[in-house]
Amino acid sequence: MARVLVIEDDAATAQEIVTELAQRDIAADWVADGREGLNKALAGGYDAITLDRMLPGMDGIAVVAALRERGRHTPVLMISALSDVDERVRGLRAGGDDYLTKPFASHEMAARLEVMLRRSQLQPLSKLRVADLEMDLIERTARRGQRTIELRSAEFRLLEYMMRNQGQVLTRTMIFEAVWGYHFNPTTNVIEVHVARMRKQIDGPGEPPLLRTVRGSGYVLG
Amino acid sequence: MARFADHWRTSAFRLSLLYGGVFVVAVLALLGLIYWRTAGYMILQNDEVIDLELHAFQKLDAAALRERIAHEMDRDVRHINVYGLFDHDGNQIAGNLVSAPPGLPEDGTVHRLRDARLGEPWQALPQLRGAALLLGSGELLVVGRDVAPLIEIRAIILRALALVGSLTLLAGIGAAGLLSVSPLRRIGAIKSASERVMRGDVKARLPIAGRHDELDMLAGIVNSMLDEIERLLSEVKSVCDGIAHDLRTPLTRLRARIYRLQQDLDRQPQHQAAAEQAVAETDALLARFQALLRISEIEDSQRRGGFADVALDDIVAQTIELYEPMAEARSVRLVYAARAKPRVHGDGELLFEAINNLVDNAIKFSPAGGSVQVELDEDARGARIDIVDSGPGIPAQEREAVLQRFYRGEGTREAPGSGLGLSIVSAIARLHRFELELADADGGTRVTLWCAPLRLHG
Repeated sequence: MARVLVIEDDAATAQEIVTELAQRDIAADWVADGREGLNKALAGGYDAITLDRMLPGMDGIAVVAALRERGRHTPVLMISALSDVDERVRGLRAGGDDYLTKPFASHEMAARLEVMLRRSQLQPLSKLRVADLEMDLIERTARRGQRTIELRSAEFRLLEYMMRNQGQVLTRTMIFEAVWGYHFNPTTNVIEVHVARMRKQIDGPGEPPLLRTVRGSGYVLG
Repeated sequence: MARFADHWRTSAFRLSLLYGGVFVVAVLALLGLIYWRTAGYMILQNDEVIDLELHAFQKLDAAALRERIAHEMDRDVRHINVYGLFDHDGNQIAGNLVSAPPGLPEDGTVHRLRDARLGEPWQALPQLRGAALLLGSGELLVVGRDVAPLIEIRAIILRALALVGSLTLLAGIGAAGLLSVSPLRRIGAIKSASERVMRGDVKARLPIAGRHDELDMLAGIVNSMLDEIERLLSEVKSVCDGIAHDLRTPLTRLRARIYRLQQDLDRQPQHQAAAEQAVAETDALLARFQALLRISEIEDSQRRGGFADVALDDIVAQTIELYEPMAEARSVRLVYAARAKPRVHGDGELLFEAINNLVDNAIKFSPAGGSVQVELDEDARGARIDIVDSGPGIPAQEREAVLQRFYRGEGTREAPGSGLGLSIVSAIARLHRFELELADADGGTRVTLWCAPLRLHG
């Protein structure tokens, strides 16, 4: 069972995080103070950390910077009320792995955390595989069984992202950030349409479906 | 260069002209008075001369009188004197007066002498005055004299009047023109400051020259009005932001609750469907608040830290790539034509968001089978992105309004979205000082984003 350290000074937010993670069989320890949080993180034993940007005792940026300085690579999800692009850049530059703006939907937070937990175990690969779906990142080809799948550039990036994070719930915002590299919420269902088209490409008639929609949350491949 | 009509409308110009006019009238009155008093004085002197001559003549005997008259006529080189001696029947005895003037009282006092018939080389004299006296001999003696210099003085005064009048008028117009230059220049500065305010720069103020004159007073009044408007605007904005911000957190929690409920629900399809709908509704609400806060965020970030040299064709191409499947799903043809590869100074992420919103709208409002054309071009005014849809179009009177928050055009209330897409674009355009233009396009709408910082003209 994965263990997550929640460094968050707002009790309600912390409670939400802990409950959501418990639902997903992730154990969470909650600390409200920055300095104490850093000590616990340094003590080790955690697979990931959610870290509030503004904390009593020690600022979130300082915590993650101190952690990285001491050679700890535990993935950190920064959570902040500051949505400014500059703030995001600062958080990531200090060593955060992902950045989430308050208020957030708990499924979004959980999905990001789960991807981070998995990512820490992943190795860079040149070939990806989900059941009989295969992707060659060097040849830039994809096939399902014997059937070749023609992919345009955006579709290729989308499939690569989903295959790298197979079995994980990926939210629309995560997909938009990872595949297009932008950090605002697209106003309409433009991502859904992309995923729907991808689904048509990889799940042919008669084949067992690989791409699944998680209601109110996102998508899972495999 | 300001046109004459502009000069004419300034108060400085009009006042100068008015002063000029008053001055001309005053000069007229002064010269008139001088003429009147001078004429009176000269007539008086003239009359005294006539009176003296008449009484000197009266004392002479008949022969001496005739001789004296002949002598005086010889001396009268200016031909301004009139003498007449007539017998009892009115026949001329001596002098240059051909006949006794009718209507001249024979009382020895000086009167105006009209209709005098004079012999050569005397001519009809305009300001002739004279006196008639019946002598003891029964002869009638007439002595007259013209007030000759009076005509000359009148001519001099009239010439002076014409000269002074026209000079005053010319000088007045000249001074008026010069005096109106400075107010017009200040009006120009006020105009450009006002244009900045109208463009949404609520911090701009009208310039004050420090002369404490009417223009400064007016600018001061407008500026305090602008202060108040700015205060109210920021109050309204902070209230709006506060509401959006305060409601966003409980809404997020509400969504989490419904979501959890949905996870825990039994697998009965009717419950699932209801929960799913509740989540979707909450998501729509959240999207609206998020968009609202996003606008504030963009408007607040007067910072231009994210500004860099941006290749517009890359950004537009990314948008097309992102929206191509959506267009296809809605059977709308999405066509992109890049006629130039302009680079602009801007925030790439925000510009991408703006173009996304525009293309999103265009696809959303185009009917199935319609088309959306995206054109990128560059001309003397700068780079431009045109997004032309084949939707229902926006009536001319609504074009202003659709850029405002929450505005939905007639008959589009049912369309999905927050109603804030164009407002976000507007905010991004304002941050960049770009211009957003809506026009008609064969029934559809042509949205043009002019990607060149506006130059202030004024």
